[in-house]
Amino acid sequence: MTVTGIIFANIYDSSLGELTNKRTMGSLPYGGRYRQIDFALSNMATSGIRQLGIISRYNYQSLMNHVGSGEEWNLELQEGGLEFLTPYAMSVNANYRGKMEALYYALGHLLHGAQDGYVVLADSGVLYNIDLTKVVSAHIASGKDITVVTKAGVANGKKQLDMAILPDGQGGFRDVAVDYAADPSYLASMGLFVISRSLLIHYVQECVAHNRFRFERDFVLQEYNAGNLSINVYQFEGMVLYNESPAEYFRNNLLLIDKDVRHDLFNGCHSIYTKVRDQVPTYYGEGCRIDDCIVADGCMLEGTATNSILFREVRLAPGATVDSCVIMNRANIGEGCELRNVILDKDVTIRPGTKLIGSSSYPVIIKRGETV
Amino acid sequence: MYFQKKRCIAMLLAGGQGSRLKVLTENTAKPAVPFGGKYRIIDFPLSNCVNSDIDTVGILTQYQPLELNEYIGNGQPWGLNKSHCCAQILPPYARSKKSEWYKGTANAIYQNIPFIERFDPEYVLILSGDHIYKMDYAAMIAFHEKTGADCTIAVRDVPLSEASRFGIMNTYEDGTIYEFEEKPKHPKSTSASMGIYVFKWSILRQFLIADEEDPNSSNDFGKNVIPALLASGHKLMAFAFDGYWKDVGTIDSLWEANMELLGKEPAFDIRGDINSRIYARNNALPPSYIDVGAVTANSFIAEGSEIYGTVRHSIISTGCFVGKEAIVEDSVVMPGVTIESGAIVRHAILGENSRICRGAVVGGKFSPDEKKEISVTQKGAVIEANAVLKPGEMV
Repeated sequence: MTVTGIIFANIYDSSLGELTNKRTMGSLPYGGRYRQIDFALSNMATSGIRQLGIISRYNYQSLMNHVGSGEEWNLELQEGGLEFLTPYAMSVNANYRGKMEALYYALGHLLHGAQDGYVVLADSGVLYNIDLTKVVSAHIASGKDITVVTKAGVANGKKQLDMAILPDGQGGFRDVAVDYAADPSYLASMGLFVISRSLLIHYVQECVAHNRFRFERDFVLQEYNAGNLSINVYQFEGMVLYNESPAEYFRNNLLLIDKDVRHDLFNGCHSIYTKVRDQVPTYYGEGCRIDDCIVADGCMLEGTATNSILFREVRLAPGATVDSCVIMNRANIGEGCELRNVILDKDVTIRPGTKLIGSSSYPVIIKRGETV
Repeated sequence: MYFQKKRCIAMLLAGGQGSRLKVLTENTAKPAVPFGGKYRIIDFPLSNCVNSDIDTVGILTQYQPLELNEYIGNGQPWGLNKSHCCAQILPPYARSKKSEWYKGTANAIYQNIPFIERFDPEYVLILSGDHIYKMDYAAMIAFHEKTGADCTIAVRDVPLSEASRFGIMNTYEDGTIYEFEEKPKHPKSTSASMGIYVFKWSILRQFLIADEEDPNSSNDFGKNVIPALLASGHKLMAFAFDGYWKDVGTIDSLWEANMELLGKEPAFDIRGDINSRIYARNNALPPSYIDVGAVTANSFIAEGSEIYGTVRHSIISTGCFVGKEAIVEDSVVMPGVTIESGAIVRHAILGENSRICRGAVVGGKFSPDEKKEISVTQKGAVIEANAVLKPGEMV
């Protein structure tokens, strides 16, 4: 039985504002040494998925540079391997309006090879460490048409969910809703679905032919309501982080300081693989003071950092203070700086003596390559 | 199979036992010994090759090769896994007429003449897997080509007081070697051989065959092949190298070389741009975590480590754990080591995956002029709770 993977690299880019101005949701750095897509890629690669398509529509240079041939995920040597489904490769313009339209343009990928087996679809803005072989087995055992992987405890009446499902406790559902700020009794979709390849191809063709382009709203919900599509809900017990706004992204980075979150996300079912950069180990200077921090390799730390995430090759000068910050690759923070609740994108220079203070719900964000 | 002709290929002698590293090389070949937090000794010559545009490396293994073979794998971390280049492990193998172990460094190359011939090289670079250094071999090969030498030997200046520990090259002003003395009692110069040779392959091939036929030869480059070349009037040149170079063949020198990575301006700066980077096989480990109240001063800490205690002037390698109230000072902690709460480690080398249990004490403190004795734990060793491993002791 073949299982094919599809990862959507940038369906929801706009929600993260300037962080995804020039990159996809998938290539957004996360957790010190990762890009968000590493989680979806690692989940798929470690579950034996050997045919994998990454759908992206723009700003995908950094993504292609990161993923390359897929060798870090052991995807490059196998039959099938990795395929980038960019607008160019699909010879269409970039303006598809939703995942169904994107899949329509990627049909060549799905129609290639045997038509049996299953497709696992994942977004790249939701991070988790899952054993997909279990999910696929559960899907097959359920006999249902589609499996929606969900997480309890995410719905809170405020967060807008792509898809929310309220089980009735007897194997059915009291409610299935999309784009809904559901109350806590609902299960939140993780943007992770399993469906048979033939059924997916059928519905992609049907939906797009009738101007229905969104996956959750126009396909799953509509066909479910019409009684044509049976849904299996898979409830995932592990850690799930939704990075769908700058505040969520900020909070979910700092959450890694919590040992349980960190261990669950990085070592839950399997390792998370990423592109190797061959950096030296981080050097901690004589007078540095590092408390409660996640630190990647290649840094040169001589100042003070508390409750922060330091990506690769960060330089923290003596007398600089960083508190509750997300500092991406190659930031250079000068002497005497004071940063609190700040996100520094890659290659930012902070001149000596600069003070930047944000709040935990509205972190200050400094754009890539800026000097402050 | 088709093999592209190469101007120069490298042969890396990685079969040495490294017995002076004692318990650290009991089950591991010396080139596979971890170094600098995330590297192994062999990463240095291998990365130097890659950074010098040498894309074909034969790696001669013999002693405890399992770990080394696994580590090298298909050569992917060094970019040596493409169709036109390779990192090829070359163990001794059985032949129809005569099967034998590698008797000496020259014999190891002799036994692999067929491998070298596949590439029909102009030059062969001979390296060992025993040293920590960054060197541009391309400059040495260019020098060799320019001078038209039959053999070029890399040399470095050593203090006169230490010269009798090395193979000393006596040269004219232009670098022509007129005499070679192996560990001379009364050295005439301070140009010590670094064990790095570039040969014209046609000449080396001829001398390897002659050396093999000589029953009295110990089949060694320094003892036999180089003196034979000199005696027959071939042109040997010394290529001077003045960068950092350290033989890490003893416990003390291995410890020292690790310590020399530390400091704001370290004796050996392992960092480098894209042309002088050291490559290593990476495991998929998360970033490190440094707890509230942990102390991390003047130290290297590699990926996947969790630090809850105090680390001063030490190398903490990948995937280590330092528990609350544990103290690690002036030590080299190899990958995967656990140091439990309250344990104290000073002036020690802790082998891979060893475990120092609660309250145990390893090594001791020294005053600056006192002779330091390094305590060593073997790979996988366990120091039980509250146990003591004295300075200089090994388990």
